[in-house]
Amino acid sequence: MTNLDIIMVIVRVSISAFVPLCFLAVCVTMERRVAGFIQDRSGPNRAGICGIRAGGLVQNLADGLKLAFKEDIISEHVEHKFLYVLAPIISMAAAIISFALVPFADTLVLDGKSYVMQGIPWDTGILWFLAITGFSVYGIILAGWSSTNKYSLLGALRSASQVISYEIPMGLAVISLLIVYGSINLSDIARFQGQTWLGFIPMWGILLQPLAAVIFIVAAFAECNRTPFDLAEGESELVAGFHLEYSAMKFAVFFMGEYVAMFASSAVIVTLFFGGYNIPFFDTDFLIRNIKPVAFVLLVILPVFMFYFAKWIRRNNRSQYLRENDPRKAEATIYIRCFWILIAIIEVFLLAILAFAQPDTAAAHLLVALMQICTFLIKVTLMLFVYVWVRWTIPRFRYDQLQMLGWQKLLPLALLNIFVTGAIVVALG
Amino acid sequence: MAAKVKQLPSRGGTPAEKVYLIEIFKGMAITLKHFLRNLWDNSNLYVRHYPEVQPDIPARWRGRHRLLTHPDGTPKCVACFMCQTNCPADCIMIKAGTRIDGVTEKMPVSFTIDLAECIYCGYCVEACPEDAIRMDTGIYAFTSSNREEMKIGMTEMLSLKGGFPEEEYQKGLEGE
Repeated sequence: MTNLDIIMVIVRVSISAFVPLCFLAVCVTMERRVAGFIQDRSGPNRAGICGIRAGGLVQNLADGLKLAFKEDIISEHVEHKFLYVLAPIISMAAAIISFALVPFADTLVLDGKSYVMQGIPWDTGILWFLAITGFSVYGIILAGWSSTNKYSLLGALRSASQVISYEIPMGLAVISLLIVYGSINLSDIARFQGQTWLGFIPMWGILLQPLAAVIFIVAAFAECNRTPFDLAEGESELVAGFHLEYSAMKFAVFFMGEYVAMFASSAVIVTLFFGGYNIPFFDTDFLIRNIKPVAFVLLVILPVFMFYFAKWIRRNNRSQYLRENDPRKAEATIYIRCFWILIAIIEVFLLAILAFAQPDTAAAHLLVALMQICTFLIKVTLMLFVYVWVRWTIPRFRYDQLQMLGWQKLLPLALLNIFVTGAIVVALG
Repeated sequence: MAAKVKQLPSRGGTPAEKVYLIEIFKGMAITLKHFLRNLWDNSNLYVRHYPEVQPDIPARWRGRHRLLTHPDGTPKCVACFMCQTNCPADCIMIKAGTRIDGVTEKMPVSFTIDLAECIYCGYCVEACPEDAIRMDTGIYAFTSSNREEMKIGMTEMLSLKGGFPEEEYQKGLEGE
């Protein structure tokens, strides 16, 4: 192993382990802010350090500190204390490693060696995701059972049966996808979607398999225990469901596990149906061959984008009432300066690439990989937004409706989809 | 009198509605509209920026209690115990004493209201024969870190001023 190999292993593993954790902050802020805006209220806008509120990010810090310093209670009536403590750990760990096999950029070629950009460069792909998300329900079941509490146990029961019901349509939807893609490796699947059809339509999963996409996304919502399928913690019936007895950091770990699972399943949805890391219409080879025009376009687009973004910050980051020397305007100026500095640094790098880099060199490969990581993260953020959006639009299902949807609607549809897909693939040879 | 029955058309039966996904997308379009409007310019939000912007309190609002005084500054209260008897929350505690200045026979020695118990129903104001207690201070926020501080005494209540002009308060009474 050369030094480069070791660095690449560290980089890939840290991206796949820490990006989901960093996205916690994005998820929680987005959840609150989007919920607020959808309900015509403003969301968190008070907590700040020296007046810097960072669009609600400081609120997360405050909540995190609160949870970290709270007393961690294990009730007397909890008999199996080991399992009780183990449950949130399983939930969180399963959520993090389920992201390990999702590719966040195309295979990176450096010094003639190629590196698969996944946390674990392994071929099991989508099967790993199905297995690990199936495993994560153990955390919920253990939590509900070891809490020795009726509400918790009912929540865990619901969650278990829900996951069993929805794993089947999910798995069947994946089968019809695999017939189309011809591989279970997520890197292959993402590369397949980089092709275009008739020259201008990207061959994304959602266009090739719209029914499978609907089934998979619905099932993924159910797997994540998100509204409208959050019966495991339905507060109107079960108080808080499986995490009722948990407090302080153990509750926080459950909470974080839920959001990391949401990130991971968004990443898988993006990889399966929305072209993964591919920038629409531009495949990796094209970008590497034309690195100079690409760098030039970025060089022009970024400041223009930043100009309008700064305007937006100015418009929205001000006090909505009469106030002398509005401190929020000063705050907006600080944000805008920070963003302009960031843009300036990126511009310097792009200029260097424009001036010195030749096509098909390490610099070109790295720039393309970075662009693909950014594309992937933007797509995942949009998918996370869909999760939040759905949560604040649709009310919770009743339990029998949930099972009815899973077994009577999604399962036959998924089977039908497999037959139709198989017939078409056989007919087209 | 026969009960009035209003028949509402039942929804959800048409094939398009049974697919459910279409209706979900319609609902999501509505929430997205709200979201984008507020994201574009957050002055569109329907919020009052409390505590910087205070709400307008009407004169009939039942806020914190105050005890009224005669023009010479002595309390109007005659310690008749009407308010204490009427109080559904049992939060008024009066100790009566003899009044020596000759205006009336009795006056309260102490008059305590436990604001942690008070339900702000206004029965004390209605029961008072002397117009000695009112809830027109316009104060609606009152917090404390312990229970003892939630009990307010006579001197504090006597020192509070009404939050509205007299004619506005009287106009508010007419409506009742």
